[in-house]
Amino acid sequence: MPVYVDVDRCIGCRSCEVACQRVHGGIGHIHVHFVGDFASVPIFCHHCEEASCTIACFSGALYKDGERTAFDVKKCTGCGLCSLACPYGVVWTDKIAHKCDLCEGRAEPACVATCPANALTTDYELASRRERARAARAAAKGGRR
Amino acid sequence: MEYMPQHPTGEGGLCPKGNSILEVLNHKERLRYPLKRNGDDWIRISWEEALDLVAKGLGNAAKDYGARSLGFLASSRCNNEENYALQKMARLLGSPNVDNCARLCHSPTVVGLGGSLGTGAMTNNIGDLANARCVLAIGTNLAEAHPTVSRWVQKAKDNGAVIIVADPRITHTSWMADLHLRLKPGSDIDLLRGMMKVAIDEGSIDERFIADRTKGFEDLLRNLEGFTPEKASELTGVSTEEIVEAARLYSRSEASALLYSMGITQHICGTDNVRACADLALICGQIGRPGAGIWPMRGQNNVQGACDMGAMAEFYPGYRRASDPSSVDFFKTAWNAPSLPDGPGMTSTEMMDAALEGQVRAMYIIGEDPVICDPNASKTREALENLDFLVVQEIFMTPTAKLADVVLPAAAWAEKDGSYTSMERRVQWIDRAVPAPGEAREGLLIICDIARRLGLDIEYNSAAEVLEEINRTVSIYRGATRARISGIGGVAWPCPSEDHPGTEILHTGRFSSPDGRASLFAVENVPPAEEPSPEYPILLTTGRIVVHYNGGSMTRRSPSLMERDPELYVEVNPEDASSLNIVDGGMVVVSTLRGETRARARVTNVVKPGMVFMPFHYHGANLITSDARDPISKIPEYKSAACNILPAE
Repeated sequence: MPVYVDVDRCIGCRSCEVACQRVHGGIGHIHVHFVGDFASVPIFCHHCEEASCTIACFSGALYKDGERTAFDVKKCTGCGLCSLACPYGVVWTDKIAHKCDLCEGRAEPACVATCPANALTTDYELASRRERARAARAAAKGGRR
Repeated sequence: MEYMPQHPTGEGGLCPKGNSILEVLNHKERLRYPLKRNGDDWIRISWEEALDLVAKGLGNAAKDYGARSLGFLASSRCNNEENYALQKMARLLGSPNVDNCARLCHSPTVVGLGGSLGTGAMTNNIGDLANARCVLAIGTNLAEAHPTVSRWVQKAKDNGAVIIVADPRITHTSWMADLHLRLKPGSDIDLLRGMMKVAIDEGSIDERFIADRTKGFEDLLRNLEGFTPEKASELTGVSTEEIVEAARLYSRSEASALLYSMGITQHICGTDNVRACADLALICGQIGRPGAGIWPMRGQNNVQGACDMGAMAEFYPGYRRASDPSSVDFFKTAWNAPSLPDGPGMTSTEMMDAALEGQVRAMYIIGEDPVICDPNASKTREALENLDFLVVQEIFMTPTAKLADVVLPAAAWAEKDGSYTSMERRVQWIDRAVPAPGEAREGLLIICDIARRLGLDIEYNSAAEVLEEINRTVSIYRGATRARISGIGGVAWPCPSEDHPGTEILHTGRFSSPDGRASLFAVENVPPAEEPSPEYPILLTTGRIVVHYNGGSMTRRSPSLMERDPELYVEVNPEDASSLNIVDGGMVVVSTLRGETRARARVTNVVKPGMVFMPFHYHGANLITSDARDPISKIPEYKSAACNILPAE
């Protein structure tokens, strides 16, 4: 259940950040990055199919659990190898590793449930449909996206 | 706290303020006990003593100077029942001076759109935006000020809609735009007239709609005679091609939505700005259908309701004109009152003038912070200090509360029962979820206790009882009973009877004016009261940012919001910054005729050279804003002042 981001929809309100902090005891795992004055994009764990962090993690604290890159806090030694291994810079270490857990135990991750702009979704079909519709509209106007 | 994906408008979406609301609700600085001023100190007192003091303070002023020396500020943050009870108390006491902070954001909508269409409210619901094929957002940064609305604009875009944003700044809203018109601040009417002229000349107006459903078109045609898109371009700084394109897109689409907000209203010609928006929609026939209408984007959770409840200088509940003797007669009967004041009373802005002059002697302020929110705030502070008696009912010790003689601790939204009316006219009931902190009480019960001590016949034991009275006295709320509005999504007014489904789209067959027709107003732009001068060469404009709410008394207490935007800043164009020796991140002093304030500079291209922008959520911004007013609605011109900027020492 990875989270898909629709960059065209993100309004840079940072509600996802606040929601993530709220449900994770004050420590958030999502960060909204601003691209100049023209765009913003939420950045967080991609839950990679071949996750470098799980390969780097020697204690078994980070592991693949289906589509999810899961984290077992009890096994974490705080060594920080995962932070070095992550190509996206979305795992960091402060005594222990911190990363998105897709809000284990909730029906939907809090960021997805609360994004006011509906820019985040766990629905692959929706994400894919939006992309195709956008491409079709651009083509209809006679140009590339 | 859980999200509500089944809500028809929000669909579970919350802005960062919503997501951090528990930090505010459970804040350690919440007021817990009634307080009495003792010099510069505060003494905790009992409710009995507090209520007696308030009754004495208000009663003495009424006795010595007449009831019209009393001023009441209701709260567009509080529920309908509290607002209804407060305006009733004011009027039963004989004072027409009751108002709420709609005065500072959308009073031009209430009077302007009310005059044009018959009803000064959003014509369609938010979800209906998805049906629009063209969205024109003028003077509204909805992506920051109303984040959940952006999901509906995006749905429209998914359906093929074109988005036009008219705003001097690059905003998170303009990111969505296919066409961004960066007009000069204060030239909205010129832009709208230019667009109207194009639509008329190209024959893309709806002549049948104009003939059947409007009046005043001849005057409008005369008004536009000789006006050209080229002239509009010269006045607005937007290219002729863009004006023509915007006019074509808006007038020719199957369904066009016009969204506006405080970029339209907060000018000395705010009412005319609103009328010009209505004119454009009317002549193009873009109103009264799914996806076609006018969406004034209101600023607070219950600003619509506070106005509906008559917590406004010009109106008794249900928009019965206070100047109309029949309204007064109606409520004399309904409230069993021998006499009631005819209005209009003083607006909130006028009350401050009157307080300075000694005509208003005592005020009762609920949930508003004029010391932070009023323009030229030093004057407001002086006015409130000049009062004989001030009582403030609040959840925090705001700068306004600090000037009070008595401070009453109130329950916040989750701690009381009551109904709220959102900007899309949706009336919804909220049940109390948690107890209020300390001895804080529901505002309604506080109002009733004070009224009783003043010898008034206001006896309510619960918000539900007030709602029953509202159902009887306010015709648009007649069918909005507690049972119906307790369901998810509530019901949209007008809902004239219990079996009426509510009204999602207004003006479908006829307008709500007495003759059923909409009025077109021939208007012309009025330049801002204060134009840049050699001494103050830069135009200062103000507005909202996404993580803070109005005066910030709540959001500036939330750690997760303060972490993101902690202090007052000012956006300066790099060109101006270099000539003024200002560096990004450096402190600057911004000064106007009224005073000066310190802010951190953000050097950015989102503002054009010659103008700067400040968010108004922090203490300081409104020390320097202009208190020039629109003569009709009395809204101050927050959006334009002349200023100077210097690097701070």
